[in-house]
Amino acid sequence: MAAKHDRDEIAALHHKQPAFRGLDAGHMACPGCGQALGARLVTEAIGPDVIIANATGCLEVFTAAWPRSSWRVPWIHSLFENAPAVASGIEVALKVQGRPTKVVAFGGDGGTFDIGLQSLSGMLERNHNVLYVCFDNEAYMNTGVQRSSSTPHAAMTTTSPRGEHRMGKRHLKKDLLSIIGAHHIPYAATATVAYPSDLRAKVRRGIDIEGPAFILVHSPCPLGWGHDGALTIEVARLAVQTGIFPLIEMERGIPVSAMKIRELRPVSDYLKLQDRFRHLFENVPEAHEELEHLQELANYNVELYGLRGERPESGDSEGSDTVTRGGLRSS
Amino acid sequence: MEAIEGSAAIARAVALCRPQVVAAYPITPQTHIVENLAQLIADGKLRCEMVSVESEFSAASVVLGAAASGSRAYTASSAQGLLLMTEVLYNIAGLRIPLVLTCANRGIGAPVTAWNDQQDSMTMRDAGWIQLYCADNQEAVDTIIQAYRIAERTELPVMVCVDGFTLTHTLEPIDIPTQEQVDSFLPPYKFARALDPSRPITIGNLVTPDYYAEARYTHHRALLRALEEIAAADQDWERTVGRRCGPLLTVDGPAQSRIAILSIGSVVGTLLDARDEYRELEPAKIIKLRSMRPFPVDAIQEACAGLEDLIVLERAFSAGSGAIIASEVRAALSEMKAPPRVHSFAAGLGGRDMPLELYRRLLEAAKTATAARFSIIDLDLSKVAEEDR
Amino acid sequence: MPTVTRGSFANASTSLLFNTGGWRQMRPEHRGRHAPCATACPAAEMPRDYLAHVASGNLREAWENLVAANPIPAITGRVCHHPCEAHCNRRSYDESIAIHGVERFLGDRAIEENWPYPIRSAANDAPEIAVVGAGPAGLSAAYRLLRGGLKVTIFDSEPQPGGLLRSALPPYRLPREILDRELERLLATGMTFRPNTRIGRDVSIEELQQSFRAIFLAPGTGRHRSWSVDGVKPGDLRSGLDLLKEWISIGEISARGKIAIVGGGNTAIDLARVLKFSGAAEVHIITFQTLPEIGNNKPPADAMSATPREIRQALEEGVIVHDHRGVKRLLMRGGNIVGVEIVHMRELDEGGGKRKLVSFEGTETVLKVDRVIPAVGQQVDPAGFEHILGRAEFFKPDHIGRLDGHPGIFVGGDARGAGGSVAGAIGDGHRAALAIQGYLRGTDVQREKAHEPIAYSELNLSYFDHALRVQAPILDIASRSTAAEIEGPISREGARAEASRCFSCGECMSCDNCWTLCPDNAVLKVHESARERIGYVFDYDHCKGCGICAHECPVGFITMIDEP
Repeated sequence: MAAKHDRDEIAALHHKQPAFRGLDAGHMACPGCGQALGARLVTEAIGPDVIIANATGCLEVFTAAWPRSSWRVPWIHSLFENAPAVASGIEVALKVQGRPTKVVAFGGDGGTFDIGLQSLSGMLERNHNVLYVCFDNEAYMNTGVQRSSSTPHAAMTTTSPRGEHRMGKRHLKKDLLSIIGAHHIPYAATATVAYPSDLRAKVRRGIDIEGPAFILVHSPCPLGWGHDGALTIEVARLAVQTGIFPLIEMERGIPVSAMKIRELRPVSDYLKLQDRFRHLFENVPEAHEELEHLQELANYNVELYGLRGERPESGDSEGSDTVTRGGLRSS
Repeated sequence: MEAIEGSAAIARAVALCRPQVVAAYPITPQTHIVENLAQLIADGKLRCEMVSVESEFSAASVVLGAAASGSRAYTASSAQGLLLMTEVLYNIAGLRIPLVLTCANRGIGAPVTAWNDQQDSMTMRDAGWIQLYCADNQEAVDTIIQAYRIAERTELPVMVCVDGFTLTHTLEPIDIPTQEQVDSFLPPYKFARALDPSRPITIGNLVTPDYYAEARYTHHRALLRALEEIAAADQDWERTVGRRCGPLLTVDGPAQSRIAILSIGSVVGTLLDARDEYRELEPAKIIKLRSMRPFPVDAIQEACAGLEDLIVLERAFSAGSGAIIASEVRAALSEMKAPPRVHSFAAGLGGRDMPLELYRRLLEAAKTATAARFSIIDLDLSKVAEEDR
Repeated sequence: MPTVTRGSFANASTSLLFNTGGWRQMRPEHRGRHAPCATACPAAEMPRDYLAHVASGNLREAWENLVAANPIPAITGRVCHHPCEAHCNRRSYDESIAIHGVERFLGDRAIEENWPYPIRSAANDAPEIAVVGAGPAGLSAAYRLLRGGLKVTIFDSEPQPGGLLRSALPPYRLPREILDRELERLLATGMTFRPNTRIGRDVSIEELQQSFRAIFLAPGTGRHRSWSVDGVKPGDLRSGLDLLKEWISIGEISARGKIAIVGGGNTAIDLARVLKFSGAAEVHIITFQTLPEIGNNKPPADAMSATPREIRQALEEGVIVHDHRGVKRLLMRGGNIVGVEIVHMRELDEGGGKRKLVSFEGTETVLKVDRVIPAVGQQVDPAGFEHILGRAEFFKPDHIGRLDGHPGIFVGGDARGAGGSVAGAIGDGHRAALAIQGYLRGTDVQREKAHEPIAYSELNLSYFDHALRVQAPILDIASRSTAAEIEGPISREGARAEASRCFSCGECMSCDNCWTLCPDNAVLKVHESARERIGYVFDYDHCKGCGICAHECPVGFITMIDEP
């Protein structure tokens, strides 16, 4: 058994870990929060020489309630819609000052797909050397689970409830990647907390690139999606394995690589774990139809991005992030 | 001395302050300022990054980020653009980030106008910025330079207000200070809470009800204390170049006069010229208000001591209530034992010309028995439908 | 009371002082679970643990871990039926780990490198124990007693140690060089060996009781069971084991014509193959048990007790197996066999754990054979043990080898009549040695709880990729003979590859998953590389009890319990 460690020893261990962590314990995220994990993984891949501009949202609220902060790196929160603009200002200032510190902007799906889209577009168009990371939990979670343009079709939120005349969100999930792609930035990618090595590798790629980079990190929200906190990783993994959330990389708007799905799973495997989709399993025609629709949307992704693997690969949905004794993960 | 357009002079003044980042979004009548800055940068006369942003919201955000990272920054806007930045302006002030912004005053739509009044900056009076108004372009140049020193010492952002078109687009002979003069007056920018990995901090925290009032109080106190810094800056500037602007307000006129006109911005020059023109009228004191925020209550009381009538002329109003400046003046004077009667007028809205004759009309209007509550003195009721009067 | 800061900024990492652990409803705990390979091993080896050493490249540590349970791995790595592989959780994912091959590899390596057994010599005044029988049970007990600091003398009626390992295992399964070298090294640890000494004839139990503080009896089953069909038996009837032993001893066997062997154990199979190699025209095996499915699956309840891969090889070599059959009649001509009548026969479950052998009338067929050989099991040769054995076929010790009414006498191995395997014998010897130590100290030995191994469903397979098992080389049928080993070794790379495939069921393998995936940084590494066991600690001041660590632990090492 492990030696008994007293509380002071354990407290000191937070500063002796072999990997740098820019997000510390003691934050107020819900148990099992995918976004908290995602943000921490991103800071691991970047290291301490960074300045982060963070939009309003869950991540900002649960890490920066005065007088405490969970951030180990310099960090600024301004408003909901301007993280990319603030990051632009930081980047330009550092450039003029001749400092090589990296600049990163964080935003949720609300702050990225919706209210912050203009500011993001401006930053990308002006070619600022900033990595933008969007933590996509598919709704305005901080304010109590309202739909955003990133909410998937048919998902239930407080502003897209299931009712007599509605089966959850009417509209489709906004195709943000195509919008990002149209900016022809050097690098954009999707990632997920279920494949941490893949996520970190993409962050490193984005941070090393000269110019703007964008990463969309799928981040399950146990509270908003309606699943047990322990299942966060499993849910995120199934999103990939069903084709619902493709993991791709784009350069100058052109998809250049995708994580292949070795064994394609039916979307119901993913949906049935989440309360926000429970209405799709009712035995009524509308539910059947919506379930089929979601399956078709997944099929479309599989075809569009060529997600089906021809043969098993070490980087595919089953081979990525496999464990080895002694923790020698690939990244 | 150079005969130079107001915008160009402002741009030269900004350049002398050695900003490292300028954010630009076009809006009439501010645009010439940033165009001039762009030319200075392109000609290598100013080593600075100009970020041509996609909206004023982002312009303010860019300079927020830059200043928070330790780079002196600048932006300018007017009217619609200034209002679009509202959220950011409150944010900058609450975060206590030193910045200077030029507001080229213009009216706010609807109805759409491109012309000068002060509704835009007056709308921002609660944002927590220092607001200084310039009566002419020389004051604009001097105030911008002073503004950086004030901002960086008080850690409060400063809005320098300059009447759009009236000042920005007119040629005047201006004494542009030398780089040496400015460098001796304005040290390099060092921000105590700069974002820096070697000393990481978290900026922009959520504050709960148990501390929020104290945080706001601290801000309010800082603004009030800034009155001293504004005065000190003007004094030191006088030592440097031999000119002063105010600092908080100026009283011009015969000491024995019992009537005064208080106004703000370029109209003050018109009032002074009119007083010279209308020698037959009893000369009124002209009180030029320079600092709108912090509001110089003591200075106003001092300036109004012994007056029987005070006319307040302003270039904006609060719809549904009336005067903005006059209301604050009345509140300031209410502490006095024998305050003057305050007559409240707005004029020149949406760029309406204010002729010298306005001076005479103001003095006439003040001869009523009671204090004039609020009216738009240059209103033409024949242009208003009966039922809307 | 803190005062507001300028602009309400906060200092970095100040949230570490905030205790979010108070939110918890459940907490994670490190709880090791038993691996099915260990619970299935009759010798209580822990393949998971020595595979971990192999995976890390520490072959010697792996061997030392292995011999803590089983001191003769070069032997068992060749002859054990390896139930560990049949229970290995990996078999449900792709293919079970080749534990057998790795064990052999380690055993052979120890011999090559002459790694000493990790044992210190006993003190001069250490108590002395007598071990009767130098077969696997006796050797295992002796080794364990020596490790416990006791002195041991092993008696055997034969001139060389090994018991059935030497006398009944064909060299193509267990080469003599390996057997000799392994046992030579083992005996060199300080056991006193007294060969050519038979209990009863040369020394009595009572005499042993006077000279030794305790006695472990592992004499094996020296007497073959009598066999006849309806009272009839051919005149030249010899028991299968006797014939096999004879062949091993002198290298010759009569292998003419068609031969039927009755029995489903290793003796039957070994003998069948020897006869086939020696030129028999046909060799038939008749057993009321059934062929085990060769492959990954757990064997059926009435599977033949012979080692499945031996059965497979026998079938490849042309031995014919008639399973679920029994001999109903011998067809005789004079005193000689001309055939056997066989009938469908099975053990049926009678309920209450009882089974009954039933033959099904009307299903008879005739098999023309020239010889029939029974290989139907052995029983204890009572000579020298009469006062303990009485009329019984086997000794009846308790679960750790104690004999009721005979304090200081312990029994293990085939002699206790529990079926008998090499691994089982080794386990018996180990348990009896512990019992003897307890007996000497005067303490009671607790019954060990039956351990529930971790189930396949409790692992998280998302973190393992498929990989097929290393195949040990095997001679093609045409090349096989009795002269050389038929199965070859796996290489060092193969051993490491297999060790890397091990799931590490129920034991932390320091994969870093918990450390990587905790959203609250509440799993912390204690060591730089966390390569030692349990290099992680839970920070209960910050753990919110979400359960991600437990759910994503690939090996089921973390359990969520109610917050106390």
